[in-house]
Amino acid sequence: MPGPSLLKEVLQRFFSKPVTIQYPFESTDVEKDLRGKHYADLSKCIGCSLCAIECPADAIVMEKLQENKKPKQNPRGLYPVIDYGLCVFCYRCVTVCPVKAFITTDNYHLASPTKLNSRDITLKTLPEKKR
Amino acid sequence: MSVTKVVEIPVTLEIPIGPQHPALHEPLMLKVYADGEEVVKVDINTGYNHRGIEKLCERNSFYRNIFICGRVCGICNTVHANCYVRAVEYLMDIDPPKRAKYLRVLAMELERIHSHLIINAIMAEILGFDTLFMYIMRDREKIMKAKEILTGNRVLADYMMIGGVRRDVNGVKKDRLLNIINTIEGDIKRYIKIFETDDTITKRLMGVGVIKPSQITKYGLLGPIARGSNIKIDVRMGDKYDAYGEIPFNVIIRKEMDSWARMMVRWEETLESVNMCRYVLEHLPSDGPAVPDERRLPRRFPAGESFARVEAPRGELTYYINSVGKQVPYRVKIRTPSFNNIINSGFSYIGYSIADVPVILTSYDPCIACMERAIVINVKRGTRKSVSLKQLAKGEV
Repeated sequence: MPGPSLLKEVLQRFFSKPVTIQYPFESTDVEKDLRGKHYADLSKCIGCSLCAIECPADAIVMEKLQENKKPKQNPRGLYPVIDYGLCVFCYRCVTVCPVKAFITTDNYHLASPTKLNSRDITLKTLPEKKR
Repeated sequence: MSVTKVVEIPVTLEIPIGPQHPALHEPLMLKVYADGEEVVKVDINTGYNHRGIEKLCERNSFYRNIFICGRVCGICNTVHANCYVRAVEYLMDIDPPKRAKYLRVLAMELERIHSHLIINAIMAEILGFDTLFMYIMRDREKIMKAKEILTGNRVLADYMMIGGVRRDVNGVKKDRLLNIINTIEGDIKRYIKIFETDDTITKRLMGVGVIKPSQITKYGLLGPIARGSNIKIDVRMGDKYDAYGEIPFNVIIRKEMDSWARMMVRWEETLESVNMCRYVLEHLPSDGPAVPDERRLPRRFPAGESFARVEAPRGELTYYINSVGKQVPYRVKIRTPSFNNIINSGFSYIGYSIADVPVILTSYDPCIACMERAIVINVKRGTRKSVSLKQLAKGEV
């Protein structure tokens, strides 16, 4: 005979909503400041590579912009591309950035048929006049 | 010559439990020798999960190592990071503000609550009581949410930083955390009552895996296992690191010495942690910025060595750091409680039945990810020698 308090709870649970969240069909309720996918804002980035040096998972690679697209504050034209498959989401890059160039989101969806990285979304932040 | 005597030798069964086994959640091999149902000898074999984190620490900078050390173990990541960060702080002679110390204690106690809840849930599952497993895991989600509110992630907190913590709490977060902590207290009390009264649990746990206090000291077992055998050992009380010197709490000990006592120690510690979390949130000091500017932290590390220890949910965890004044440490040595508790515990299975082996193992709260290392380096001669874990357990190093 199980303990009396658990039996009561088991009977109660027959008539209540399930706790399990059917994840792909309904999204989990997360905090606004959850450490989700983040990417560099190229209107601020100066291409110093500090994020790539400090990344504990070596998930950031500095790539080169095209010559005609280099922003004014970034003469070397380097910008960080984050490989979300390698990233451990510690946000060390966000906190060491000298110009606070990273944009953070609460997006935690990492399942994908292709390799995920921040290249496309980062390039969209290039300043308009330089495009 | 005629036969006068026949000697019948009883068959001794050799049963491998693990490395993949339904009753074990982590890759550990228990070679159980049984005479009928009774266990006569247990060989413990590890090495299925070695990842070389200590070596990795020697190649990475001091700051990168904070996040690498946090990933030694998933469940106790905050205590690993805290222990490493404090060792580096001792080396650099940095004292974080009180607010940061209180927040560190809050994060570590939330982690202790969810670690103890998960091992109690797993114990219920091992006993075949899956309903209880589901209910405990459901209530554990509340604590995971509290960790998410505090640190920004459910499991891997990455909360510790040299000179403080990485996030502060505001009034709204504080109220939400207090709300969660008050809700979980009632749940924990309900489960304690179930563990005390339910026949399914008491019949399987009471009197199983008895360890005497003399055996605890002989084999060097730590944490809730020692406290379940009436030995008052707790680093929080001994070292009073961070803010533990200012927060009132009791060290829980039980006199029963069996698997049930170890689980009850964990339950009562969970309640104690709930009270500590509430105390921290109600008495949070505001003496200085808890979050240091990571861009301005010192980049030079003095030569020297430092040592820190911390009470992880599974027992005493120690970090030793040797620096030669470079950007990377010369050596980071990690000594985890699971290493002592699992490898030295072979004696405690003898005399019980095969069905009790998973129960006794689970009562030690095994964390295999923590315990995979066995290389001895002679510093004077510079030689390296691999030592079998058996020899290490006997102290032949």
